[in-house]
Amino acid sequence: MKNNRIVFALIKKEFLQILRDPSSIIIAFLLPLISIVIYMYGINLDSVKVVMGIKNDDANPEVQTLVKSFGHSKYVNSIVYDNMTEMTDAIVRSKIKGAVVIPNDFSTKLSRGQSADMLVITDGSEVNTANYVQSYATQIANNWLQTSRYKYLVKGAAVTPEIRTWYNQGSNSHYFILPGSIAISMTLIGMLLTALVIAREWERGTMEALLSTQVKKIDIVLGKYIPYFVLGMVSMAFNVFLCVGIFRIPFRGSFLVLFAVSGLFLFTCLGIGLIISSKLKNQFLASQVTLGVGLLPSMLLSGLMFPINSMPVIFQWLTYILPPKYFITFIESEFMAGTIFEIVIINSIFLTVLGLLLFAVVYNSTDMRLEK
Amino acid sequence: MYTVEIKNLIKKFGTVTAINNLSLNIESGKITGLIGADGAGKTTLIRLIIGLLPKDSGSMCTLGLNPDTQKNELNAKIGYMPQKFGLYEDLTVIENLRLYADLKNVPQEFDKLLEITSLAPFKERLAGALSGGMKQKLGLCCTLLDSPEFLILDEPSVGVDPISRHDLMQMVKNLITGKTTVLWSTAYLDEAHSFDTTVVMDKGKIIYEGKPHDLAPDSAEFENKVIDLMGGYKKEESMIAKNYTPGNFDIEYAVEACSLEKKYGSFYAVKNNSFKIKKGEIFGLLGPNGAGKSTSFKMMCGLARPTSGTAKIMGTDITKNPEKARSNLGYMAQKFSLYGNLTVRQNLEFFASVYGIGLFDRKKRMEEIIDVFNFKDIQNQKSEELPLGFKQRLSMACALIHNPPVLFLDEPTSGVDVIVRRDFWNHITSLAKKGVTILVTTHFMDEAEYCDRISLFYHGETIALGTPFELKKNAGAKTMEEAFVTLIKESENEKQ
Repeated sequence: MKNNRIVFALIKKEFLQILRDPSSIIIAFLLPLISIVIYMYGINLDSVKVVMGIKNDDANPEVQTLVKSFGHSKYVNSIVYDNMTEMTDAIVRSKIKGAVVIPNDFSTKLSRGQSADMLVITDGSEVNTANYVQSYATQIANNWLQTSRYKYLVKGAAVTPEIRTWYNQGSNSHYFILPGSIAISMTLIGMLLTALVIAREWERGTMEALLSTQVKKIDIVLGKYIPYFVLGMVSMAFNVFLCVGIFRIPFRGSFLVLFAVSGLFLFTCLGIGLIISSKLKNQFLASQVTLGVGLLPSMLLSGLMFPINSMPVIFQWLTYILPPKYFITFIESEFMAGTIFEIVIINSIFLTVLGLLLFAVVYNSTDMRLEK
Repeated sequence: MYTVEIKNLIKKFGTVTAINNLSLNIESGKITGLIGADGAGKTTLIRLIIGLLPKDSGSMCTLGLNPDTQKNELNAKIGYMPQKFGLYEDLTVIENLRLYADLKNVPQEFDKLLEITSLAPFKERLAGALSGGMKQKLGLCCTLLDSPEFLILDEPSVGVDPISRHDLMQMVKNLITGKTTVLWSTAYLDEAHSFDTTVVMDKGKIIYEGKPHDLAPDSAEFENKVIDLMGGYKKEESMIAKNYTPGNFDIEYAVEACSLEKKYGSFYAVKNNSFKIKKGEIFGLLGPNGAGKSTSFKMMCGLARPTSGTAKIMGTDITKNPEKARSNLGYMAQKFSLYGNLTVRQNLEFFASVYGIGLFDRKKRMEEIIDVFNFKDIQNQKSEELPLGFKQRLSMACALIHNPPVLFLDEPTSGVDVIVRRDFWNHITSLAKKGVTILVTTHFMDEAEYCDRISLFYHGETIALGTPFELKKNAGAKTMEEAFVTLIKESENEKQ
């Protein structure tokens, strides 16, 4: 009972400090708001309309309909050129992102039942756009071929693959980026909130006073974990509310499972923050290190932005010790595919193990004296 | 009966020996004063005694317990107030008290304590917004909540005015029982003289242990004796002053404050402050914490904008032409405000360049200053690693690097040991003789005696102005400290 009183007192103190200190409120609520707004409106990985040039050297009126199909496509804004130099110039000036040249023997070859060539020029300095140009041009040409009178002349007409994207039929990238952004802001919140708090006690000399009372190591550790866990979960709820309530991101899973696994994830993040804080004992350094160890790997190595299986093997191994990887896998599937027990269980196990390990490290790195 | 028994204690930090084969017994039920030069090892010794630092070798016993292995049992019996008081500045007075009551597992009854410390009206104020004296009282309250058997205070009175120091002493004496042992580390030798026992430390060793009255019957003589013990202070010609090249100024008043006023909302931090300082005069600004001294200082060097009125430095109006006025000014701030991660040399170089000393002169000036201030051996050390006394000297060197005709010193000797203080004042008085005009604040009343004239400041207003002799005469007091207390109380009574 005596021990509980100390923990409660420390927790209460921490909450009072949170309420007085605008920076923790900013981290917990303003940061996710800004990040979600940026991910919602600023970042878009969807295919966008590209501006393409077209030069048709084939006088055959049938081919004119191909030029028109470029104009009708909802993915392309086409500009017709007669002069090659003019078009090249437009590419150099980046007025158009790519170009299609239809040679003068195009229809002749098709009429003979041969395969015809078409030149597609793409701008390699923007690889993503170049890919779009290439695939749009191929698709439009193939579609046109299917509807034109050459349809029966060309042998072995190209099989157009039909692509269906499951879970995200509209291929709306916000549907997976926003849940992913929750994971990133939770990483930052969990680490930043706690990275500062032990360092602060050392800097302000209050740790020295605490250590000369009957406070035990476990009291200090729990006195830091519990308040920031509560704050972090409130922030999580705020994040989910923004995503689902305001931005109408479809949520197919169970809120209970979502919050349970988020709790586990937060537990690991708080641990990392507390380790940084108790090792460095300096708020400025701690916040810098947190951004380095926390934000960058969770953005770059978690699989949110870049697929893990396309990374070098050594980095693939590295991702196994990063909690965001497990959380991002979980949260994306929980949002888009609903609760899949295998995913929930595997990721929860990893998060729990990491969290407990980190807790042990926090416990051991909490100094009860001024030096070791 | 001894509360602390130490035999052959050794503690090293890297290659530096902080505590060197020290043996000491501290008698139970007595107040023991711990004094010594900066870096003598006082704080380290205190931390070892209560188990905050592990020892290297030797034996130690505090309240019959081993601080190394029984720290938790020991913590239950002691009250320790660290140098920074250990208060949570973003918690209110009452919240701090409640927290420490919970941590020490005592009932939450604070009425008596709040009354004794007259903190009751400030219950809901944030600890960070309290004045130095009040913080110190609150820190002491938190420490004394569980009536510890052994009370340890590490320099509680740094930067605190004489009245608050007096109150603190009374508080401790009222709140402890006859059985409580107190270990009190202090830089104020008059304080130390009033304790039961004195322990003087130097270079990690005890060089004197005994009754202060055996050393000297009064506190002034006690100070001289302590200085002798620490190796003595030989007053030498100030090299700093000798190397000072005064500019050619023909002006009667080097510094003038013309009805300076600073208002925050409806509150006057400084009210109608006017004085004139003659060239070559040492002018002291005294007053309790929060009287408005620092605000006046900041307005006079152009760091804060006065609500009305102005100040002139060497005839230049600070509000109209701040750059020109400041070029005649060397300023030493209350807190150590140099770059901690730069070396001594780099700091000097930086200040030489910001004060606009040209590249050619700079090199010569640097060598001069390093020589005069005796920085040769430490010039490549990071300034944050220096002992407090050296930090003060470095701050002073930086303030003097451009040979300014006017020096502003805001509590330059806070937390500095007695020898460094003497040395410091030797330089100040010698500089004044060379024509440097000096405006200084201090909480050491013995230092006030060095001033040519003093302005006593209280609640934002000047309540007395004159030479130290005149002030003492007006108050009918023997010492400056007595005069200070009397004049402040008189002004208080007039108000009511």
